[in-house]
Amino acid sequence: MLKASKLSKSYKDVKALSGISLEIKKGELYGLLGPNGAGKSTCINILSSLIKPDSGDVYFDGKLLSENRKTCRQILGVVPQEIALYEDLTAAENLLFWGKLYGIKGKALEAKIDEILHMLGLYDRRKHKVKTYSGGMKRRINIGAALLHDPEIVFMDEPTVGIDPQSRNLIFEVIEQLHSDGLSMIYTTHYMEEAERLCDRIGIIDEGKILREGTLAELRKASSIKEEISLDFSNPEKNELLNLKKKHENNLILNEHELILSTNQSDVDLPILIQDCLASQLKIENISISNVNLESIFLELTGKSLRD
Amino acid sequence: MFNLALKDIQQYFKDRTAVLLSLLLPIALMTIFALMYGGIGGSSESKPITLLFTDQDNTELSQEVYSTLDSLDGLKLVSKSFPEAKKLIQKGKNASAFVLYKGFQDSVNSGQKLPMELFYDEAKEIEVGLLQQALWSNLFGITMKKNIKGKIDDWIVEKNPELSADEIDDIREQIAEQFDGFEKSEDNSKLEEDSELPMTALVGEKKDGNLGLIQAISGVAIMMLLFSVSASGASLLTEKEEGTLRRLLVAPISPSNILYGKMLSTLFLAILQLTVMFLYSWLVLGLDIFINLPALILMILASAIACSSFGIFMASVCKSRKQVESLSTLVILVLSALGGSMMPLFIMPAIMQKIAVISVNYWAMDGFFDIFWRQLPIIDVLPNVLVLLGIGFGLTTISVISFRKTILRMM
Repeated sequence: MLKASKLSKSYKDVKALSGISLEIKKGELYGLLGPNGAGKSTCINILSSLIKPDSGDVYFDGKLLSENRKTCRQILGVVPQEIALYEDLTAAENLLFWGKLYGIKGKALEAKIDEILHMLGLYDRRKHKVKTYSGGMKRRINIGAALLHDPEIVFMDEPTVGIDPQSRNLIFEVIEQLHSDGLSMIYTTHYMEEAERLCDRIGIIDEGKILREGTLAELRKASSIKEEISLDFSNPEKNELLNLKKKHENNLILNEHELILSTNQSDVDLPILIQDCLASQLKIENISISNVNLESIFLELTGKSLRD
Repeated sequence: MFNLALKDIQQYFKDRTAVLLSLLLPIALMTIFALMYGGIGGSSESKPITLLFTDQDNTELSQEVYSTLDSLDGLKLVSKSFPEAKKLIQKGKNASAFVLYKGFQDSVNSGQKLPMELFYDEAKEIEVGLLQQALWSNLFGITMKKNIKGKIDDWIVEKNPELSADEIDDIREQIAEQFDGFEKSEDNSKLEEDSELPMTALVGEKKDGNLGLIQAISGVAIMMLLFSVSASGASLLTEKEEGTLRRLLVAPISPSNILYGKMLSTLFLAILQLTVMFLYSWLVLGLDIFINLPALILMILASAIACSSFGIFMASVCKSRKQVESLSTLVILVLSALGGSMMPLFIMPAIMQKIAVISVNYWAMDGFFDIFWRQLPIIDVLPNVLVLLGIGFGLTTISVISFRKTILRMM
């Protein structure tokens, strides 16, 4: 669907992108995760043909973007970070305007607008001015404006910035719906929870470079950080606990009444551990797992927090 | 307290545009108004008044009148035939023309009523008033002595037919010796009052006091239009600041089309505003806008094009809406002061009247004066229309180039 190779972009002395390459398959939701200033927006701006890279190429379905700008723009949609809407117009008027820019007219456009408003849950508010909307509603219309021309791929640049958790969930539902409908998307965010929840594959970006990419499982696996499974017991028999520790080749740490297992495959190791505990007549009172999350992977890769 | 003051001063100087404008705006306006009132350089000298001079008499005396008037500091004479002079006044290029008809010298010598006339444009009554005063006092000095001498001469011959030629010459010499004393006498003021300089208005004679109305309507209409189109043009920067420009730029349309779209809406608003203002002038203020409707429509269109391109130009060279608002206020006030929106041009010094041509206000107002005051045919309004269209085209071209360079670079 989309292939970008060795994209570089500098602003005066600041290198915004340093040879980024990525590939998005049809129907895939790809997340670009990185802190502010990592190069996410520059990357989106280049992919959406808003700015030209200093070097590197972008292809949409095999067509070179720099040579087929107009054709490529017809198949891509952009959800900017800002609420790029006219606040004095109603939601329907906004969508009508943006639709017309893509050459959609008449009944077809009206039907599309109704469909999108229904999907966004804003049909009843379609005749209200956008300035009367809540932040979350504006964000939804902001997404809707990028979908009018049935794009094949949509770039979403931090579409949930500055809204409450409830509105964020509504937006996630919209994105999940679009994903299940087979729409390809690139989603930039600095919220690891969003990337973890929504994205098929994630590229971790910092200082203009993609440091690592893959599915969440692949990223966890590639990480040197281990997950920790802790088990508390209501009848902590010392001998039984020691036997258990021995059986797991001393990967277990015994801490008074608590057993701690370090692993990078908790989904495999946890059932085995529970089975062994039951076999040893140990009654598990509490299990807690500290997962390797994107935050810790990012910290491992860059030495800094995602919110820095 | 001092820390707070220091912080505010520090912030003020950080915004270089604001500093520049807050200092530049009053300086610019002060300079313009000083120039308008002719106060620059401390000189109280007034500009010379140009007087078109038509000599149909072509005699020694008519040439003497020409030389005497031309030698006056406050007067600049330009010889023209009567049709040429008339055309120049009707087109508003000159304020007045002085005509000495055939038989001028003979009338002076014979003490008859002098065949001369001053033609003028009522719109320039202040200039004509000053001219009339200068003209009459000097003309009186040259002609009246000869005129009175001639009258006395005739009277002597007529009343004393018995006198010989030598006796008459003797009397003439004695009168001549005494005549210089008469020149200084206070009685000549009475004579001056009795005589009169015939004056004919070539422009404005059909109208009753509409001059101020035309000045007010055309001056305010153009100035306010410039303010409106600047605000409308600045919406281009609002699009940038609010992110909609980014969305427009990734749509399958060319960046120039975005600018042309803005121009079109600004142009529509400009036409609407001018139309409403002239309709109001007709309905409420009593301006006869139907005097030359095709010319008025043409002028409204041309003025709207020039002004709307000015609005877009301001938006394309500025980096933010705030900058457009500050800079356009400065530029519009200067252009309006220069172009005659704030004060009629004819009372400004000559240098200011020459500088005025750089202002869109000047060309628009001059065109409206051609229609309503001078009542010229549409062909005579065309030069103004062409200049306004030229301004529009020029500013649009610069805007397109600037838009591509600045706005797109800022994305």
